[in-house]
Amino acid sequence: MNGYAGKFLEVDLTKGTCSSFTIDDARLKKFIGGSCLAASLYLERYNLNADPLAPESPLMVMNGPLVGSGFPGSSRFAVAAKSPQTGIWGEAACGGNFGPELKRAGFDGIIITGQSKSPVILSVINGEAKISSADKLWGKDIYEVTDICKAEDKAIKVLAIGPAGENLVKFAAIGNDKAHFIGRTGLGAVMGAKKLKAIIVRGNQTPGKANEEKYKEIFKAAIAELKDSAFAESLHLMGSDAAMDLGMMTGDVPIKNWTVGEDFELSSKLSGPTMRETYLTKAHACANCPVACKRVVVVKDGPYKTEEGPGPEYETCGTFGTMIMNYDLAAVIKANDLCNRYGMDTISAGATIAMAMELYEKGIIDKKKADNLELTWGNMEAVFELLKKISGREGFGNILAEGSLKAATQLGANALDSVVHVKGLELPMHDPRGFHGMGLAYMMSNRGACHMQHAAMGMEQGMVSWPQLFDMKDDYDGKTSQGKAMMVFNAENYGILDNSLSICHYLMYCLKPETLRDAFNAITGFNFEFKDFLISGARDWTLKRGINNLLGVSVKDDVLPKKILTPLLEGAGAGSIPDMNLLRDEYYAIRGLTPNGIVSEEKLLELGLPELRDKLYK
Amino acid sequence: MATYNVFTQEWLDAWKQKIAESKEYKEIAKDWEGSVTLICNADPSKNVPKPVYLFTDYWHGDVRDFLVCDEAKAQSGKFIMTGDYARWKQVAKKELDATKALMQGKLKLKGDLTYVVRNVKTVNKVIDLLTEVNTIWPDEG
Repeated sequence: MNGYAGKFLEVDLTKGTCSSFTIDDARLKKFIGGSCLAASLYLERYNLNADPLAPESPLMVMNGPLVGSGFPGSSRFAVAAKSPQTGIWGEAACGGNFGPELKRAGFDGIIITGQSKSPVILSVINGEAKISSADKLWGKDIYEVTDICKAEDKAIKVLAIGPAGENLVKFAAIGNDKAHFIGRTGLGAVMGAKKLKAIIVRGNQTPGKANEEKYKEIFKAAIAELKDSAFAESLHLMGSDAAMDLGMMTGDVPIKNWTVGEDFELSSKLSGPTMRETYLTKAHACANCPVACKRVVVVKDGPYKTEEGPGPEYETCGTFGTMIMNYDLAAVIKANDLCNRYGMDTISAGATIAMAMELYEKGIIDKKKADNLELTWGNMEAVFELLKKISGREGFGNILAEGSLKAATQLGANALDSVVHVKGLELPMHDPRGFHGMGLAYMMSNRGACHMQHAAMGMEQGMVSWPQLFDMKDDYDGKTSQGKAMMVFNAENYGILDNSLSICHYLMYCLKPETLRDAFNAITGFNFEFKDFLISGARDWTLKRGINNLLGVSVKDDVLPKKILTPLLEGAGAGSIPDMNLLRDEYYAIRGLTPNGIVSEEKLLELGLPELRDKLYK
Repeated sequence: MATYNVFTQEWLDAWKQKIAESKEYKEIAKDWEGSVTLICNADPSKNVPKPVYLFTDYWHGDVRDFLVCDEAKAQSGKFIMTGDYARWKQVAKKELDATKALMQGKLKLKGDLTYVVRNVKTVNKVIDLLTEVNTIWPDEG
């Protein structure tokens, strides 16, 4: 099949074996690749009730058909597993260069089960897989491991965990070549539980394309669209942190653990333009990306001196900036650097610390409980110390290493009001009080509160407008719940495809959907109409929802946290809260969920998911 | 209440006056330096037979030249924003946010995007004040 390497690697770390298997074309056409294909394999082959950190639970590293094609934004790959942080479906995607190199090495994905007795490294070189000792790498941070793995061949691409993954921190991340991270849902802990310190890949194979000539035409069109896109230009100039200034004006940016509605001094000091003017040394691109949104920064001196390396995204400027009342961008850069090295998701880490600071302010925890740290707002020395303690599961850090929900549960019932999560995953840095559709998207995202598994942010905030494809507006009023269910439904069915096709979420916003569809068709030869794209997206969403239903998710879990249902007193979102019941009721009807939040039997059959129907309705 | 034909010098003057009278604008725009040219593409079907060039100049909270101009003058703007008549009308009526129009490619910007993002409050305030000008549109009876 064009666009695919044609085989998947299966690794059992208990037995120390590597083998490969194939998937038939019909199944590839149905589930495409990436996290969607991972979900279908998970449902079919594995025990959903197993503990996420148990040997039998799989860790799936998956490519989609666009990966390795050279199409702009096709660097992405997905990692999926049952999440140790949430206990439900977990997945995350990242750019970089691992995905394309894995395909060049001859595989569309790697599925790892079992648990090694001692630390190991998996190498996949031109179709050959080998497991070897990583005793000397255990305990090292992600940057050190990456440098060691690439010492003899810089072209090798690396996935690695740091101390946080080794210590099973519930929001541990996996790093790809230092600059790119599988951040959300704690998949680094799954890797750590298997004693798998790193995966390295290298290859020289080139996957074929169904229609090379047509592809060349579409590629040219895509490049022209990117050159013409102001969104792409803003990403190149300012990275994702371009969103900070505008977000503060529109009520998107959370402040002081979601309790303050506006602080323009914060946004000014932490914004993309400020980063560009102060610490930016260059822009960095993932494989096959002409946009280059990644930041490379250095803090040359001062208390937050940090050597040149990957800079923070907008989300990190939120969690380690606005959320904890830190006005110093250099300190955000330092916190980002520490999270990268330890291997922790910057959203969950920062949000969990913000919660701890609020609990400290409220007197729910004191200095003694916090290992003698003064957890006052903006105290960055305490933040750096906490990050170290979390990654090592030391003292108070051991509590926070469970993530904000489980930590608060340990800290007392009155701590729970300070947790801002959906399904156990901390909210990203976009406030649903300014954008009600985002509230619904958080409620319904299959991995917990998420801003990346749909295009709701792009639609509701006006970065994109695709009226030729959907019944949608050019300009939505963020503070309205009416009509947002249909917007989110469409945003999910299209946006979720980025993790099955394997395409950058941002470039999905910059490119015409028709161009993306045409590229997909030229590469795979599938000849999808746009409606087929949307059906695939709906199937993807429904499959993961059904898995979550089997794991116990129902209407009780599709809720927004108390803070988001409490109006702010100032800022663009002041006085506004999402109408949770209206949003959910309208959405359930459109999506084909029963009143209890279970995927209906009819919907499962309509989308061609009889196996899931059998498991849900047996 | 006075009304003005869009894209005329009188209309520009009324807009300029609204901005000049705004204390909020003066505070928000205290760091803004430089001119913004607005170009409306011709659209004979909407009674806009030829392109319209508008030169507006701002300096640290003050407003300077606001001129209906020729193409050469328009090209001297620090920022040049270009769009179709229908889009400008949507923006002027606040039916379409200017930043969203830019991101969606409905308006095109030539100039330092970083500066615009840094000063997005200023841009929005100027548009807000435009909505206070009673405007007659050439495609409306």
